[in-house]
Amino acid sequence: MNDAPLSGSVSRADLLVADDENLKAEAPLFKPPREQFLGLRGSVGRYQSMFLGMVGIIALFVAWEIAHVMTPENQQKFLPSVGQVVSKIAYLFTEKGYIADVAKSVYRIYVSFFFACLFAVPLGLFKGCFAKIRALINPTVGGLRYLPAASFVPLLLVYFGPTDFAKLALLFLGCVFFLTALILDNVEAVPKELIESAQTMGASRWHIVFRVAFRSAAPQILDSMRNMIAVSWTYLVIAEIVAATDGIGAVMMRGARFLHVDIIMGGILTIGVLGVLTDLSFRIAGHFLFPYIRARR
Amino acid sequence: MSILTEHTGAANHAAHEQGQASGEPPLRAERVTKEYLGGSRVALDNISIDIKENQITALIGPSGCGKTTFLRLMAGLEYPTRGSVTAYGKPIMGPGPERGMVFQAYTSFPWLTIRENVQHGMKIQGFSKAEQRDRAEHFLKLVHLDEYADAYPGELSGGMKQRVAIARTLAQGPELLLLDEPFGALDAQVTWEMEEMAVDIIERESKTVVLVTHDIQEAIYLADRILFFTRQPGRIKEDIAMEFKQGRRFAKKEELLVEPGYVDMEKRLYTMMREEIQGRIS
Ligand SMILES: Nc1ncnc2c1ncn2[C@@H]1O[C@H](COP(=O)(O)OP(=O)(O)OP(=O)(O)O)[C@@H](O)[C@H]1O
Ligand SMILES: [Mg+2]
Repeated sequence: MNDAPLSGSVSRADLLVADDENLKAEAPLFKPPREQFLGLRGSVGRYQSMFLGMVGIIALFVAWEIAHVMTPENQQKFLPSVGQVVSKIAYLFTEKGYIADVAKSVYRIYVSFFFACLFAVPLGLFKGCFAKIRALINPTVGGLRYLPAASFVPLLLVYFGPTDFAKLALLFLGCVFFLTALILDNVEAVPKELIESAQTMGASRWHIVFRVAFRSAAPQILDSMRNMIAVSWTYLVIAEIVAATDGIGAVMMRGARFLHVDIIMGGILTIGVLGVLTDLSFRIAGHFLFPYIRARR
Repeated sequence: MSILTEHTGAANHAAHEQGQASGEPPLRAERVTKEYLGGSRVALDNISIDIKENQITALIGPSGCGKTTFLRLMAGLEYPTRGSVTAYGKPIMGPGPERGMVFQAYTSFPWLTIRENVQHGMKIQGFSKAEQRDRAEHFLKLVHLDEYADAYPGELSGGMKQRVAIARTLAQGPELLLLDEPFGALDAQVTWEMEEMAVDIIERESKTVVLVTHDIQEAIYLADRILFFTRQPGRIKEDIAMEFKQGRRFAKKEELLVEPGYVDMEKRLYTMMREEIQGRIS
């Protein structure tokens, strides 16, 4: 082909020879087409992502501020401005020992969630690994999942009174059944081939349960936990509304009694911030616990 | 070879060597029938066959004819509905490290590095730390992955992952290698490289191998004997010894192509495959 180019057409080989000198020099950097702002599944840089996140938050506050300004003067105490709420939070922290309430709520969430995990992880794991355990437990747990956690409130009050334990129990009940179901799904999604190849290595049953099935599902299990603890935060106020003396929910209830909307909104804001931090802490844990996920292309 | 024969592994190996001495074949299927869906689907129909020691036996046949099923019976991952499958005269009652299996899908553990993956089977069987390290190194070199020992499977290409699976299976020192379309998911050039690598390794480690494949050329190149399955229900249509190879294995695939008898064998297998496929259409 190179020897006898068709007359009238210039073969590629000729072109290459003609520009020989040029070809030796390093080519200029290639400029890929500029990514559209809304490119499908497009990429987001680290700083761009932070920037966009901030834009979202600021937009929310701006909308809130506008709503406040547009509210008639005599109604404004029902929709305080961002500044008022933030300064109220500062006031709560400095004058009212709000930090103790926040700490109490965080404690309730984490302790109840810890016990929920203590139940749900082995239960989900064994259900996913052993058909008979699954048959034994699943109908029960599957049904309990549909009971609204709030409906337990009167029962828990009767049993345990206005104690801390009642609140922990409610938070626990609010997420343990769902968490079990999610973890069951995670364990069932472990590829059959991984388990079978462990079997052909001579692995024992318990080795496969803990070192293969659990290990394989672990990143997804952490994700399930991250999603369920968010649900747990949403139950917090319900748990602390009833006969509570401390905690963010109690502070908000007290605010409600005196129509202190700024305190209520401050509580909502606090829970939001704590929720985001919780989510972040799970993501960071995942990042360090499962370095191989980062390697995946 | 040296590492394999030297190692003084776990009890099951000792038990196995006893079996080997008895003169029983490494694998024997006797009137094996496998039914699914309560008998409404017959995957394997009354198969009787011996797998011979130190041979590469290829199972070939149209899709869905029961090749994987047969291999899984030999691995002990499933049991026959009728008949029996024995290894060195003993009925197979479950999977074990003496029958290593390479699956069609990638089965490396994603949370372990390549080295840890290769060591995992040995660890389960209680090899010493030093043995684990040495053998992992040996087999990673064999599959040309020693440079990737500390990478995670997620960083590897498909062909590399499959090489990890092969190294991992070999490292646990099985008597028998069961390979289910080990190169099926790879592109042509990688498959070809891997086939040559497989010949080299099997020759060096002198293993008994059962290989499932749908690739006629691959079967002829790798196998000493081909079992051709009929389409559903699976029976052995023909048991073909690769006599034209005269017991040789070829380091390069192109050496096979010029061998007298190769073309006839390939033609014969294609004809058989066509018969099976047309049987389905009519
Ligand atoms: N768990 C199962 N339940 C029901 N039917 C099954 C099951 N496993 C296999 N079969 C059936 O048994 C037959 C043989 O399947 P098998 O996987 O052994 O085929 P194969 O020869 O390996 O095919 P391929 O070349 O496509 O991999 C098929 O008809 C399949 O549908
Ligand atoms: Mg198959």
